[in-house]
Amino acid sequence: MAKHHGRGFATIEYPTGMNQNGDPSQAWIKLKPDGRVDVFSGTVDIGQGSKTVHTQIVADALGVPYDWVTMDNTNTDSSAVCTGTFASRGTFIGGNAVRLAAEKVRERILDIASKELEIDPSDLDIEDGEVIARGAPQKKINVADVAGAATYNYGELISGSSTALKPFADVDDATGQVEIEPHSAISYAACVADVEVDDETGEVVVQKLVQVYDVGRAINPTLVEGQIEGGAIMGLGLGLLENSYPYYPSVKHRGGQFGAYLAPALRDMPEIDNVIIENPSADGPFGAKAIGEMANNAQPPAIANAIFDAVGVWLTEMPATPDRVLEALAAKREPTRDGKRVVFDEHLSLKAVSANQGEGFFGVEA
Amino acid sequence: MNLIVNGSEVEIVSPPLTPLLHVLRDELDITGPKAGCQQGGCGTCTVLIDGEPRRSCLTAVAAVDGASITTIEGVGQAEELSAVQAAFYKHYAAQCGFCTPGMVLAATALIERKGGPVERDEVLEALGGHYCRCTGYVKIIDAVMAASRGEVDSVDDLPVPEPGQPEVLPKGSPA
Repeated sequence: MAKHHGRGFATIEYPTGMNQNGDPSQAWIKLKPDGRVDVFSGTVDIGQGSKTVHTQIVADALGVPYDWVTMDNTNTDSSAVCTGTFASRGTFIGGNAVRLAAEKVRERILDIASKELEIDPSDLDIEDGEVIARGAPQKKINVADVAGAATYNYGELISGSSTALKPFADVDDATGQVEIEPHSAISYAACVADVEVDDETGEVVVQKLVQVYDVGRAINPTLVEGQIEGGAIMGLGLGLLENSYPYYPSVKHRGGQFGAYLAPALRDMPEIDNVIIENPSADGPFGAKAIGEMANNAQPPAIANAIFDAVGVWLTEMPATPDRVLEALAAKREPTRDGKRVVFDEHLSLKAVSANQGEGFFGVEA
Repeated sequence: MNLIVNGSEVEIVSPPLTPLLHVLRDELDITGPKAGCQQGGCGTCTVLIDGEPRRSCLTAVAAVDGASITTIEGVGQAEELSAVQAAFYKHYAAQCGFCTPGMVLAATALIERKGGPVERDEVLEALGGHYCRCTGYVKIIDAVMAASRGEVDSVDDLPVPEPGQPEVLPKGSPA
């Protein structure tokens, strides 16, 4: 009876949003007469930080300071439509909606500024809340003055709306087959798990998780890290502790009360190491792809692989609870019979009788 | 029954066996302590009773008659965060925020008790009964340790919120 160490590896590829057709997110942006920006985006922030990221995207796309932008997505009547906060789609699809809407608003700002400055809009840029003539920085007008002029002189409400929507696929009438374009923003991730398995109690402890995520562009690196770290612990819960309705709608696997549903607490935390890869997507807002739901996908298979590496059993059902580990180990200890041959499993039986885990004999040079 | 809640003395009319959590939330309209599992398992209802972190969902109000109760509302305000709150803000230690009141109060009590920098293991011990399902705990531990080292001791370290009135009067505005 001993503790065994193992290392497992898993990779995932994650198509952002729903990988069929449609899946819209809408956004509407308007400028107040003082140049401050109101954004009505359908994307709901459930704590992952999409409000912050969308505000950054709008501020950058418009060229105004971050604190000029107010994100109001708390009202289902006034806000635009969004399919939902799921499938890691908030930054890529919702973010594209606010980016495209902001680009339309930018065009209108430049048009009005062009009238005020008497300079062609194509020669104008917006930087830090000021419309500046390219090559002649003394020719400039504050976005607040542009918005005021639009409101009080030109009778225009500067606004822009847009929808990020994946184009519909073609259906072949003859065969009924659907041709779907390869998804434009597939995120990639890898996870390495180091585990310790106790073959007496069946307990699995995850000691370290190394996680690498290709997110296209980390618009807010600290929030990306928050998603990766949070996903790590959720994935650890799925791998070791939490029964998550595999046979929905049957509630057979649901804990009857809070105490019966185990989720990872601080003492379950492994050492966590994150790597963020920025490999920009041509279609993403500022190259961003996804991080979110995908962040808890790689850990359970990596843990399962690590358990195999440690004790040579495959757990095909998650979570790897002590009873499942012990059951698998017991099955493995049972010898296989082939006629007159009775064969014990090499991996466990050898180690069980060996003082040094089958590494060789003491005092003998290998 | 009387309680001193966040420094103010209040008379309680709820029945004596009412959980302190419901007295705070329903009678006094103090909603900082969250009703999570209500079985003492998740930690988000934690308040300080005479300075000690306790589960308000498991505490009958009669058992703490006359005690001094501190909820998250008594720790700091939006414009005047406590050291722990400022550290949580700076380290992005909250995502959905549901566990945050309990985490901040337990961390505040830990730092108060220790009176100086706390070790990682002490944070694990003090916050071990608090669930967080968003952050993976990493940034919460960072924040508590930073607060205990006095790294974030005031809101002066934080960005200044935008004043209510815009600085630039729009051109042609009747104002």
